Amino acid sequence: MAEATGTPKSEFLASVRRALGRQAGPPQTEYPRLAQGIEQLEDQAREVRERVQANRGALLDKLAEVAQLRGWQVRRTPDPEEAMDYVQSLADGQGANRVVRSRQEVFEAVPLDATLTGMGITVTEVAHGEGASRESLREQIAMSGMGITGVDYAIAETGSAVIVPRRGLGRLVSLVPPVHVALVRPDDVIESLDDLFLMRRLEYMRNGGDMGPYLNFITGPSRTADIEQTIVVGVHGPKEVHMVLLG
Amino acid sequence: MPEVKTRDFPAASAVSILDPQIRMALQRAGTGFDGGRRECIEEVTPQVWEEWREQARQTKLHTLDHLDYYLEMLEERVSANGGQVHFAADAAEANAIVADLVRTRGVRIATKSKSMVSEELNLNHMLESIGVDVYETDLGEYIIQLAEETPFHLVAPALHKSKEEVSRLFTEKLGVPPMDDINALAAAAREALRQRFLEADLGISGANFLVAETGTLVIITNEGNGRLCTSAPRIHVGITGMEKVIPSVQDLAVFLRLLPRSATGQRITSYVSMVSGPRKHDDEDGPEEFHLIVVDNGRSRMLADPDLREALMCIRCGACLNICPVYQKVGGHAYGWVYPGPIGSIVSPMLVGLDQASDLPQASSLCGACREACPIRIDIPRMLLHLRHKLAEEPDAGGRAKGTMPRPIANGFAKVMANPGLLSATRKFARAAQAMLLGSPISPLARGGRGIRKAGLPLLSKWTHSRDLPEIAPRSFGEIWKQELSNPDGER
Repeated sequence: MAEATGTPKSEFLASVRRALGRQAGPPQTEYPRLAQGIEQLEDQAREVRERVQANRGALLDKLAEVAQLRGWQVRRTPDPEEAMDYVQSLADGQGANRVVRSRQEVFEAVPLDATLTGMGITVTEVAHGEGASRESLREQIAMSGMGITGVDYAIAETGSAVIVPRRGLGRLVSLVPPVHVALVRPDDVIESLDDLFLMRRLEYMRNGGDMGPYLNFITGPSRTADIEQTIVVGVHGPKEVHMVLLG
Repeated sequence: MPEVKTRDFPAASAVSILDPQIRMALQRAGTGFDGGRRECIEEVTPQVWEEWREQARQTKLHTLDHLDYYLEMLEERVSANGGQVHFAADAAEANAIVADLVRTRGVRIATKSKSMVSEELNLNHMLESIGVDVYETDLGEYIIQLAEETPFHLVAPALHKSKEEVSRLFTEKLGVPPMDDINALAAAAREALRQRFLEADLGISGANFLVAETGTLVIITNEGNGRLCTSAPRIHVGITGMEKVIPSVQDLAVFLRLLPRSATGQRITSYVSMVSGPRKHDDEDGPEEFHLIVVDNGRSRMLADPDLREALMCIRCGACLNICPVYQKVGGHAYGWVYPGPIGSIVSPMLVGLDQASDLPQASSLCGACREACPIRIDIPRMLLHLRHKLAEEPDAGGRAKGTMPRPIANGFAKVMANPGLLSATRKFARAAQAMLLGSPISPLARGGRGIRKAGLPLLSKWTHSRDLPEIAPRSFGEIWKQELSNPDGER
């Protein structure tokens, strides 16, 4: 990585200290959240998991309801066959020739490829290596009518799908095609934003200070109200988003 | 820096207040944004809302009081994630950092998501001057860029444009046929920008929050343009004011609840994107380089003044604009610089110089609606009064007459009000003078009938030319009290 340009860090921080009239060093009383170490977070995370486990049915109901309100088209079914039929009908309705999907566990439970290929649709798994460069995958994504992904978390409070980085899951799969389908397993659901950030902070500490280069929320379709405060969907991201809730 | 027109506020506001299109746009923002905000508060209950506000305020206060510490933590963590932090003392330095990146990386095309700080820097102008094609990608910002204007509102930059104007603009600049459907206009922008996203070498974003603990930049958008700008190009540069830092990733929960509800009445935006450095070896996409430019540009002046420090807690939601009786009449351009409305009337004078913007702290009735609406409970009226005080105490600061009432008159007024005998005598004199002046058919004060309309009184003209001087009542309250109300027998 290149050298920093501009004002040297020490000089910049010294000028901030002068403005504050304080000496270098940590706050006298540590900020309560930062004072919590990994053991406390482990305990809290265990409580969160137990709470979610005990209320999963109600949380799934809430997720379905809130997600719908935030602009997702929600299809709830525990049956993988029915989920595949739904995705098939979406692809059919779109007249999509190409579909991109991530490489994630959920596709083992919902093996869509054969169904879609049977309809004459080209399905590309977005994972580089094995002969597929990042550039060629990007072109595939740009040409596709639909992007299908799993999620890492689904937040009942906000109706959001949350995606964190991994091999086989590009950020553009859920963003560039005009239709995004998110496959949500019952295990993905959590209750609130607080739950999410607690889990991520714990993950960060467990990994020795690594949270991955991104964390993305998706809540409904791309939208704007920049002209005359009139809502338009699908301005730069998908105009249509579907949440298939597998439970 | 973009041209500073804050001195023109009196003239510019006198024009914009009469513009029917601006009035219509402002009404829409009032009902749409502020109405939505109020609905959200009812939904979560005012009690919970107050708890969130308090939590957010305490977090911001703590961070600002130890800003150097958290900036250092941020820099260390961004570096550990493989990114690079650059510190810029002012706009020129921030632009030089970007220009250096452009030169050394051979950047030709840049896409940009919304950033108010980049407006402070006049960044697009600089980029164009060194041969970079730069595209604003937020629909509102794109419209503003094509029209060569500045944002009208913190969250809705093109609020003042009608769809007819946008259509004419697109026809002229993009060569598309005229259209009267807003969906079609948005589709035309999508079409025009789609290829730019994929071609761009450089993506530029602002930041809504910076998380010190994890070295993370957080942006909140609805269109998806922010995520495209930060995911598709090979270089991502985030440019942000130094006050955006918060300590922990767990602090985000409350800010993500407050910001969209306060800004547009949304429970959450379509996209929340958190970036903690360049892509890792296994990632399918994302930038190869991540740079974060942390900008001071006058902010340490606010930080150094304990009376103004809390203005740096602003999260740029625009709620104070949507509810301000002044902004709601004059709109964003009249304020003459990047930040409009009540918070802008503090921030702009502090960033461009109080002498340049001495009218802005006066552009408030001090009704307190902004403080009520602010999700961080920033005491905007207190700071506006503080700035007025500074202007009054330092008459040379602006090189022009401060305040609206000359000092001898103010002193005389204070003497009269402090002395009941003198007050009574003055009142009698004024009543006689009023009777004489209003009684005369040729009196300039009697325009429009009973009241004394916008009287052009000598020496007081600055005070009175835009205000109606109330008529002096035939009897004062003191006289009524003495004659009737204090009568122990209740006789009327």
